[in-house]
Amino acid sequence: MPSRYLLRWLLQVLPTVAGLLVLNFCVIHLAPGDPVVALGGEHGDAAHHAFIRARFGLDRPLPDQLFIYAANVLRGDLGISFVHGRPVAGVIAERLPATLLLISTALILSSVAGVGLATLATRLRRRSADITLNTAALLGYATPSFWLGQLALLSLAVGTGLFPVQGMTNARQPATGINYLLDVLHHLALPALVLAVNELCLTARLVQTGLREALATDYVRTARAKGLPEKLVSGHALRNILRPVVTVIGGRAGRLFSGGVLVEVVFAWPGLGRLLLSSLLARDYPVLLGMLLLASSGVVLANVMTDIAYAWLDPRVRYQ
Amino acid sequence: MGAGGTRGGVKRLLASLVLFAMAGTCPMPTVGQDAPVRGGTLVVALVSDPGHLNPAITTSGATHAAAELLYNGLLGRDERGEPIPDLAESWQIEESGAVYRFRLRDGVKWHDGTSFTAADVKFTFENILLKFHARTRASMGTLLVGVDAPDDRTVVFRFKQPYAPLLYQLDATEAPIVPRHIYQGSDPQTNPANSSPIGTGAFRFVAYTKGAEIRLARNPTYFKKGLPYLDGLVMRIIPDLSVQVLALENGEVDFLWELRGPQQSRLTGDPRFRTAQTAYNPGGSNCIMTMSFNLERPILKELRVRRAMAHAVDRPPFVSQILFGEGKVATAPISSEIPWASAKGLNLPRFDRGEAERLLDSVGWKTEGEGPRTARGVAGVPDGTRLSIDLLHFPAFAKYGELMRQPLSAVGIGVVLKPLEPAVFAPTVFKDRNFDTNVISYCNGPDPEIGVRRMYHSSQIGPAPFTNAAAYRNPRVDGLFDDASRTVDRAGRSRLYRQIQEILVQDLPYYWLVETVSTRAWVARCGGFKPWTGLFAEAVFCKR
Repeated sequence: MPSRYLLRWLLQVLPTVAGLLVLNFCVIHLAPGDPVVALGGEHGDAAHHAFIRARFGLDRPLPDQLFIYAANVLRGDLGISFVHGRPVAGVIAERLPATLLLISTALILSSVAGVGLATLATRLRRRSADITLNTAALLGYATPSFWLGQLALLSLAVGTGLFPVQGMTNARQPATGINYLLDVLHHLALPALVLAVNELCLTARLVQTGLREALATDYVRTARAKGLPEKLVSGHALRNILRPVVTVIGGRAGRLFSGGVLVEVVFAWPGLGRLLLSSLLARDYPVLLGMLLLASSGVVLANVMTDIAYAWLDPRVRYQ
Repeated sequence: MGAGGTRGGVKRLLASLVLFAMAGTCPMPTVGQDAPVRGGTLVVALVSDPGHLNPAITTSGATHAAAELLYNGLLGRDERGEPIPDLAESWQIEESGAVYRFRLRDGVKWHDGTSFTAADVKFTFENILLKFHARTRASMGTLLVGVDAPDDRTVVFRFKQPYAPLLYQLDATEAPIVPRHIYQGSDPQTNPANSSPIGTGAFRFVAYTKGAEIRLARNPTYFKKGLPYLDGLVMRIIPDLSVQVLALENGEVDFLWELRGPQQSRLTGDPRFRTAQTAYNPGGSNCIMTMSFNLERPILKELRVRRAMAHAVDRPPFVSQILFGEGKVATAPISSEIPWASAKGLNLPRFDRGEAERLLDSVGWKTEGEGPRTARGVAGVPDGTRLSIDLLHFPAFAKYGELMRQPLSAVGIGVVLKPLEPAVFAPTVFKDRNFDTNVISYCNGPDPEIGVRRMYHSSQIGPAPFTNAAAYRNPRVDGLFDDASRTVDRAGRSRLYRQIQEILVQDLPYYWLVETVSTRAWVARCGGFKPWTGLFAEAVFCKR
């Protein structure tokens, strides 16, 4: 990608992220609630609460707090978590791998399976296959992930013993090396599957509709007329409709993150989603702001990757 | 529980439970045919990630549930909540309760091998607990003159005046002792040891994977000979209580801190599991679900209106429908789990709808057509005002709101329910005082001085959360509370608390609904649990 594009991109992204930072700060502080309640405990006296407020700079005027925060972020310092008593960057970094693993697995799973299923259903060229996929996709798309998670636990984990109920590893026998990897995969299977279902259904429906339209176009008729095998025909068609599909998948990375919160709670997956929830309840402002910053940067990054994928998928798209 | 999540105090134990009474230093199996077995790992489910593992700088139930086994207090607590030796082997009360002298146990080592001495106790109180532990700071902060360490094995507490509750405030929940050599000269709230703690406890720290689990191992030099039996202990963070039950059934965890009513049916009657109820909780013990009346509001200033509301509400359904039988109807302002302080035979308003209607009529609240009553000559309220109040509660307590609204509307009191999450509830009620009534789980703590006084003393009216929500002011009650805190003799305190409770039942600044307890659950192959203390797993053993 040419450097001019990169420069333009930076000029767009940096002000966006900075604006989001200020907006996040204001929204969080405008919301009712007081972090001192969670920190000071139930039996604290007024002096103790004043002490906590002063300690975390919560007694300063809001513009001062914003200014200090922004200056610290520019220096790469996200502050100290009220609850954890440690630098926010570390608190978030510890939880990031688990969430990335869960979300990327779900994203890959849903994209590959979604495209695959839709292609299969279209190639079968049977009305029944179409209808089955459509109905199943609609149902899967409409089912909330926390409920699907509970169902998966009751049917596939408890009783059958096929899958563990919670966590990322076996608590009794900590494994190492290849066994650790297998243990994590075993624990990952259910939550990733549950998280993938929503996205998978959306992708499948999108691809199916696109394919049906593409297969009715002139170039497909020509390809078929010159005797191209059906596999190659749908391959051609697929490549042409992937652009909107990639747009949708890229745009939904953020949504996967929010769906991850519920799935992480149900499966006790030690990721960022649960950190977000507990920080929200405790009004741990520094952690919340850090996570919002991360999430907004993540969405921006997903958009960039979508752009790159565009150029790769469609030779007509060129960035300068 | 005010904030978030706790109930506590000792209740009945199922007969099948193998109990260990801590008599002085030695663990003695008192019941049961099962001899303790050595080895094995216990997996405990925690509902929230503690964030850090220093119980001396916080009263957070999450940290205390996870970290108390790593530490000890000067004293422990037995199944009745009474003080027993822990780091201190004996104590004397001098100058009618203004001075307490403790003799420390010999040969106690920190997990890093350093010797534990009286200097650690002095440091912990002066530099950590009195600054950062909300309950200890609020209760003894202004009264404690100093902590002395005349020699390595003697600690002396000197108070301005006789101070009664001290012996109930020295366990690992109220006053865990942390090492001076680790915390000296550092900021205790950001010291790295908070995430890799050094204690004196039965288990030593191994690893803490944030958000996932905490791994502990047997402390081979624990000062209680022969303990612990387990080789290791893993705490798993599982935020959803129903998933905790599934994990227990699936054999992934062995012990749950809290089994809620609806899930009990899954486990009771199953021979693979045991349960026990307790009113103790690391975040707050002996809790009573309480309705507060904002006495600054003209409608509720009138005693007859408060009495009418108490008469209108039938309390047994709270136990059966919300608590699924775990807990009981409150019979006094002080929890029955503090038996010496809780008054018996008090005349709380009984359920009587007719009496409620008569009282409201007598005040001037008249029934005119449908809906809430209308003011006709009510003092301080303009004629034509409707009798409608709001009721604030945590979202988790929504069922209490529902069970209050229906009977109150039946006698012509309109109730608007306002669920507010804890971080919003506290400033709304205690700082802004913007409410008519609310429902709070007020935890009495191990001694009335800790959790009861704050509800009624006129010096405790906001802005700190979970203080005197009613804004109740009665100089006689203030005086009696002050006397009670200076009286060390228990019979004398008992008489003072009785007088206080008689006045409270007359004045009705609050209405006490139900006492709540928690149910712990564990696998039947393990025994030796002490659900009434934070050191619950000190003597646990598991058969393979």
